[in-house]
Amino acid sequence: MPEVSKMKKPDVKLVLLGDMNVGKTSLLHRYTERKFKDTVSTVGGAFFLKQWGPYNISIWDTAGREQFHGLGSMYCRGAAAVILTYDVSNWQSLAELEERFLSLTDTANHDCIYALVGNKADLTDPRAQLCQDSDEASKDRMDCGEERTETQVLSACPTPPASPVSLSGITPGKQVTPEDAMALYGRILRYKGLEEKSSLPAEKMCFETSAKTGYNVDNLFEALFDLVLPSILRNTNENQHSPTVDLEECRGAKRGRPGCC
Amino acid sequence: MSVKAFELVPAVERDLLMGDKARINIECIECCGKHLYMGTNDCFIHHFLLDEVTSSKGKLTYSAQKLLHKYLGLKKPVAELRAASALERLIVLCDGIVFLVDMVTLETVPSAAGGGAKIRGVTAFCVNENPVNGDPFCVEMGVISSKKRTVQIYMVYEDRVQLVKEVTTPEQPCAVSVDGYFLCLALATQYMILNYNTGASQDLFPYNSEDRRPIVKRIGREEFLLAAPGGLGMFANAEGVSQRAPVNWSESVIGAAVSFPYVVALDESFITIHSMLDQQLKQTLSFRDGHILQDFEGKVILASTKAVYVLVPLPLERQIQDLLASHRVEEALILTEGAQQNIPKDKFQILHKRILQQAGFIQFGQLQFLEAKEHFRTGQLDVRELISLYPLLLPASSSFTRCHPPLHEFADLNHLAQGDQEKVLRCKKFLISYLGEVRSTEVANGCREDVDTALLKLYAEQNHDSLLDLLASDNACLLADSVPWLEKYHKYFALGLLYHYNSQDSAALQLWIRVVDGDLQDSTRSGLYEYIVDFLCSCSNPDLVWKHADWALAKDPTIGVHIFTKRPVSKDVTELNPEEAITYLGKHSQALLLFLEHLVLERKIKKEKFHTHLAVLYLERVLSLLSEAPADEEHLSRARERLQALLRESNLYRAQFLLGKMENCEQLLLERATLHGKLEENGKALHILVHKLKDFSSAEAFCVWASCCRDSAYQQQLFHLLLEVYLDRSLPAKSQAAAGGGELEMAAVDLLNRHGEVFDAVRVLRMLPEGWSLQLLRPFLGRAVRASMHAGRTAQIAVGLAQSENLQLLHDRLKDRKKPIFVSEKKGCHLCHNTFSEPDVVCLPGGAPVHTHCVAQRVRDSPTKRQLTNSSNHT
Repeated sequence: MPEVSKMKKPDVKLVLLGDMNVGKTSLLHRYTERKFKDTVSTVGGAFFLKQWGPYNISIWDTAGREQFHGLGSMYCRGAAAVILTYDVSNWQSLAELEERFLSLTDTANHDCIYALVGNKADLTDPRAQLCQDSDEASKDRMDCGEERTETQVLSACPTPPASPVSLSGITPGKQVTPEDAMALYGRILRYKGLEEKSSLPAEKMCFETSAKTGYNVDNLFEALFDLVLPSILRNTNENQHSPTVDLEECRGAKRGRPGCC
Repeated sequence: MSVKAFELVPAVERDLLMGDKARINIECIECCGKHLYMGTNDCFIHHFLLDEVTSSKGKLTYSAQKLLHKYLGLKKPVAELRAASALERLIVLCDGIVFLVDMVTLETVPSAAGGGAKIRGVTAFCVNENPVNGDPFCVEMGVISSKKRTVQIYMVYEDRVQLVKEVTTPEQPCAVSVDGYFLCLALATQYMILNYNTGASQDLFPYNSEDRRPIVKRIGREEFLLAAPGGLGMFANAEGVSQRAPVNWSESVIGAAVSFPYVVALDESFITIHSMLDQQLKQTLSFRDGHILQDFEGKVILASTKAVYVLVPLPLERQIQDLLASHRVEEALILTEGAQQNIPKDKFQILHKRILQQAGFIQFGQLQFLEAKEHFRTGQLDVRELISLYPLLLPASSSFTRCHPPLHEFADLNHLAQGDQEKVLRCKKFLISYLGEVRSTEVANGCREDVDTALLKLYAEQNHDSLLDLLASDNACLLADSVPWLEKYHKYFALGLLYHYNSQDSAALQLWIRVVDGDLQDSTRSGLYEYIVDFLCSCSNPDLVWKHADWALAKDPTIGVHIFTKRPVSKDVTELNPEEAITYLGKHSQALLLFLEHLVLERKIKKEKFHTHLAVLYLERVLSLLSEAPADEEHLSRARERLQALLRESNLYRAQFLLGKMENCEQLLLERATLHGKLEENGKALHILVHKLKDFSSAEAFCVWASCCRDSAYQQQLFHLLLEVYLDRSLPAKSQAAAGGGELEMAAVDLLNRHGEVFDAVRVLRMLPEGWSLQLLRPFLGRAVRASMHAGRTAQIAVGLAQSENLQLLHDRLKDRKKPIFVSEKKGCHLCHNTFSEPDVVCLPGGAPVHTHCVAQRVRDSPTKRQLTNSSNHT
């Protein structure tokens, strides 16, 4: 990643979070290098600077391994968008998002946006098996989105259905349906104390991608870049004002200096 | 893939320190300038003077000289040493006590208040390298107290220490680093940032201090390097944000130091060196029993328990050159750009440019032209460096010499391509596009001649279309160098353009003429002859025109004459004197004719000489055609038409002269009639037309054109003349007979019926013979009567309109004036001053009544004022 060296000041920060082996690094690779290659388990984190129009967007790829879990909140600090990634063929990876990763996002910006991305769609969805150009892919997604809204049922239950395979019932191997992801999106909003109406709609923020074939990948990143644009503009307007939590400001929340003796 | 970034150089050997005492270990070190201090486990401080020695080969070694050692008398290991050079003090931590010793004598400093400047119950301390206090003779220090969960901030003076702040921490801290107001702390289970001024804190990430020794290392302004779980080196700034990706250490890192742009880490058996720029592992050095790794004022020192070493960074340039030598362009550039902040700006710019240029050449050698171009551009490469790779492209006169040391390893293009012609070709194509792009930018400043000449040579060699564009536009191609080259590739047309650009039009023309004549072969331009004519046409040098016009005219007079006829009228091109041109063209009759036509018919020059000359030429042509045995009717009629047209249209030629020339020619009656007409000998003209030619329509046409610019009376006269000629009975009867009796009468009737409007009907009626039937003249008479009626009625309408207008005006006037005019016997006339005796008066303008006879008198006297009196009668 030679871009890092230029040390341009990033205008906005995106973070990829998710359980190990869901394909966070592969997604980033697919987007930045246009190819799918074997990756080793990410150590700690990696950093990529994307020049998007006049803006520099830093994308942090984090390690999914439990071992590095503690670092997540540091990466999320000041993030304008968090991409919560799961594996559509693995129910646990979705559950982990809620159990382990959601709390890491506490340090993100208050207006941070959240995207739920089901990767490895090529394993379950014939559409994703062919590398499609992003336009077509986007149309497909939108169609499905509209279809889904009617049947969407927000489940407050964080536990998986007894037999997820039979329940989704469309494709063998598919454990997580888009409806599950959208239900989780609703719970994320609730966790963040956000009004569902004033937030971005679930069908717009839930993606299914395949880093292997490139299905929907460009679409995902570009949709998010568009959505964080207001954040970028505000940052640039505030003229280098740090997007992160100001230590000076949270004085009241923290314990003051104890009195002598 | 590794870089040699550092070299491990021994500084203090084992024997110098403890000789053969096996149980003595180094516990801590401090280096301040040339002074190296070491604390040992037997409570000694050793003081060495460390001298850098550079060998003749440029290899750096250290020679250590022991100055002093001192027992501190506590029987415990010396845990930490920090120099405060401004105070000439060493801050020592030993046996949980921090105290000061003199840097030179190593004697404990007694406190100003007595009893020694000491802090008790200390587990670790750090010095603030970014102090908030402005006092240079004061060192700020963060201290971890063995007292539970407290960090204290002290000010250290020459002979005292002062507690300024104490902050509590959520857990027991075990390592601390401080920058400004920010404490970076390793607590028992996590790292945190704590602002000791405001008390605000920021958790970083969890970490178990019992598993491994935490590392908290300040690496720059408000930025820290921390040992993270999983063997990571994490970066965190004071806001708790990681701005660089972590480096991947081993699990058992003991110490870390930063020597920009590298992070050096020490574990049990290796020194690992990562770049902070791309997080990659760059170098690994095997080092057993490593114990301490610290950087002091940019110098990285490490120690085993028995000996001290310095990690000497290789000069950045050398590292970069090593990378370039192994063609690792990206890494070299990353390293260069990463070093920007460590090198003075001007020096960096020079270095950066050079590296970019070198990188460009490496990529050029790999035929990665896109990348190469970008690097040449950003590196502001002297484009001649690139041109010089291509044999013979630089002009012989160029003063350019390649930069030293060389930017690349190639002797020339052939060396680079190793005889692969396709590679050579691709390189040439690249250079063409590159030069084409840079020639108009500032890159080419100062070497435009070299650039343009090289480009010209490449274009010529590659048969490139843009060769002509280059030469036709502003360029700096060197003539002397380009001539042989263009000749070699038979680009004679281009060469001519170059000659022309260098104001050697004569050479250009000679060359082109040789191409047209077939002496030289160059098919670049198909219509080269026409081009030469055009060129001469706009050539500003008359001598050149006179010199080459002959050739052009001989080749093709009709096109060649364009030299004279198509000369643009502008200030740049000197006008050729037409007379001179005519004289010159004397031997090219066809061209002369065309030129005269151009002068007379197109430019409409009103000069008798040209008109006569042209008319004579036309006439000669007609005569020569006439004299040919089987007359070419088509050509003849065309030639005559031209002659006739000229004779008709022009008024400038010498008609008498021409008439003399064709006097005897019975075939040119029409022309003669025209000439008579020009001489106002209308009778003769009409006579010829009517009686000799019997061409009545021509006679009519003659009347029309001969009177076209004259008044209607003249026209009428002419038509009457024609009518008279028609009706003339005085002519010999034979002509009458020949005309078939009534032919002339018929012509007269036709004339009257066709052009009735120009005749005076009354005069015509008088002239006509009595015997003519009314029916015959019906159209003429009908028209005449109708015209007369029309004129009469139009006149009546005009009178009526004028009267009504007059009445209207009178009415308006009365309306305006309204007031009555009083006339009495007592009032006097304004003109004669007599009283009125009768009611009939005339009013002057203004309403003054006067006698009618007075007005009549006055009108008679001054006729000009007639209009003023508007007579009206009032009673």
